[in-house]
Amino acid sequence: MNLYSYILRRLLYVIPVLLGVCFLIFIIFNVVAPDPAYLLLGRHATIEQIATLHRELGIDRPFWEQYLAVVKTAFTFDFGYSWSSKQQIWEMIKAGAGPSLSITVPLFVITNTIAISIALLVSFYRGKFIDKAVLLISIAMMSISSLAYILFGQYFFAYKLGLFEISGYEPGFPHFIPYVILPIILYVAISWGPDTRFYRSVILDEVYQDYVRTARAKGVGELSIMFKHVLKNAMIPILTYVIIQIPFLILGLLLAEAFFSIPGLGGITIKAINTSDFPVIKAMTILSAVGFIIFGVITDVLYTVVDPRMRLK
Amino acid sequence: MSEKILEVKDLVVEFKTDRGTIKAVNGVNFDVFKGKTVGIVGESGSGKSVSALAIMGLIPNPPGRVASGQILFNGRSLVNMEASEMRKIRGNKIAMIFQEPMTSLNPVFTIGNQIEEVIELHQPQLSRKEREAKAVDMLRLVGIPSPEKRVKEYPHQLSGGMRQRVMIAIALSCEPDVLIADEPTTALDVTIQAQILELMKKLQKELGMGIILITHDLGVVAETCDTVAVMYCGQIVETADVKTLFNHPRHPYTKGLMDSIPSFDSTTGHKKDRLKTIEGMVPSLFDLPAGCNFQDRCVNVTEQCRGSLGEPMLREMELPQHRAACFNPLKEFEGKGL
Repeated sequence: MNLYSYILRRLLYVIPVLLGVCFLIFIIFNVVAPDPAYLLLGRHATIEQIATLHRELGIDRPFWEQYLAVVKTAFTFDFGYSWSSKQQIWEMIKAGAGPSLSITVPLFVITNTIAISIALLVSFYRGKFIDKAVLLISIAMMSISSLAYILFGQYFFAYKLGLFEISGYEPGFPHFIPYVILPIILYVAISWGPDTRFYRSVILDEVYQDYVRTARAKGVGELSIMFKHVLKNAMIPILTYVIIQIPFLILGLLLAEAFFSIPGLGGITIKAINTSDFPVIKAMTILSAVGFIIFGVITDVLYTVVDPRMRLK
Repeated sequence: MSEKILEVKDLVVEFKTDRGTIKAVNGVNFDVFKGKTVGIVGESGSGKSVSALAIMGLIPNPPGRVASGQILFNGRSLVNMEASEMRKIRGNKIAMIFQEPMTSLNPVFTIGNQIEEVIELHQPQLSRKEREAKAVDMLRLVGIPSPEKRVKEYPHQLSGGMRQRVMIAIALSCEPDVLIADEPTTALDVTIQAQILELMKKLQKELGMGIILITHDLGVVAETCDTVAVMYCGQIVETADVKTLFNHPRHPYTKGLMDSIPSFDSTTGHKKDRLKTIEGMVPSLFDLPAGCNFQDRCVNVTEQCRGSLGEPMLREMELPQHRAACFNPLKEFEGKGL
């Protein structure tokens, strides 16, 4: 089967998945969630006021129409207005994407590069001193709460040593750089441990396969076994793991943005949750669902490039 | 006698484990001759595969190591050979095929690619075109239909028997002096087994290589081997040429193995005897008994087997080249014959 028809078929699968996601979002926000009138009008609202609000929000309509409205939102990205700031949500997302990406993209590149390189190194020297040392350090670092990293980093590096800004943000390159370095460093420290463990176990799964023994029996050198035979096989789980991180990049880092007062999408989401700003929460939920679905398709397509076994199915 | 290419002398392979050090191979001797096949027979855990890996220099270290003994290939010692030197021999002069054809090929490279890799390593003087042509030739040699098409395919597109043929093609691409076949047919259908064994015999005639055939199947041994070594608990307990071994087995373990093959009377089609098994279990290598390792399962066991005379050593039997490690060898037994 050729690649294009595969991609097309895979894209068609997106539609039922997206409809299902919309259904769940509809259940959560339109059926289970409390009447927004309580939040927006307070306890002294009159029946007319409530009825007017219901009409404005469209929640006096039958459920199937409300469901279709959710579906429409998911396909048009027309999320409406925030309840608390009255801003258009799409504008808020556009404004928040920049600050989020200025942290998450470098973070994504740095952590994965470091983690995959170290994982290859320790897999090559598996069972030796360096492997055990890296294991010890990564477990020690994984055992510390991410909050501890943030507080320590802000206090020690930013406040005591004055190396970076404690918090805040200034839009535009290169003005944002002093603000994003500290969160990036801290998050690299937080995530390299679990990432390295993951990549190491993925690579070691392959190292003990029979085809590696065959390669040795052919006289292939250990380095070539690692980089040619093992890495190409390990690419399948590695790709999945790397690509599934990308939707998170767009959504920003929930905790870090709140702690570092970075006006990104993570911060917007946290604020929306705190103020029960349903349209914003709904928008972020739809956005992340769409992100996961799209990158899922991309992963599937890349599999066929990496793994010939996937091509016929 | 033809030329001796490989000589294994008093080979001891140890594995360090949490429960102590075990000798997976304990003082094994055998020779491989040009154009001849040595069968190594034994149950799982008897040390057959470990012996083979030791020859290839592929004992995982740690936990394993060749503790003592010699492996001489054309007079050169392979034990403690420089890794880079050993890589030049592996896949080139000594090649190996494995039990699991389904998983022994790399799933993400084409068949052609995997054959060409070994040619590129050991015959760097060949151009890419020549390598590609040779890969097709090798596939044709091992009887794979339309090899020009198959070189571009991936392992998952081939059946188990075809994959084992590809493994043989890889192993023979550099025309090795010795081919080690570790249970090459165990994972295959019976009809395919016969084809693969036929193929190996045919290619052995053409290329004149010595074969070490590791198996637990005495039927396969009878079909293909010139000499046989029966292994038990890391030691060879009986060795002879194949006819002698089948007609006059002297070690009770060898007889036990033969009795556990079902046999039929060719005229009536009825089973000749009730199928026998060897009672008991292989002793743990952590806890070997004093004296003969086979004492608890042996029908001929006597007091001297229990340790008063130490371990039984391989000693000459009446027929030439026939040796068995038994204090009380079988006498009157007539084997199944060939």
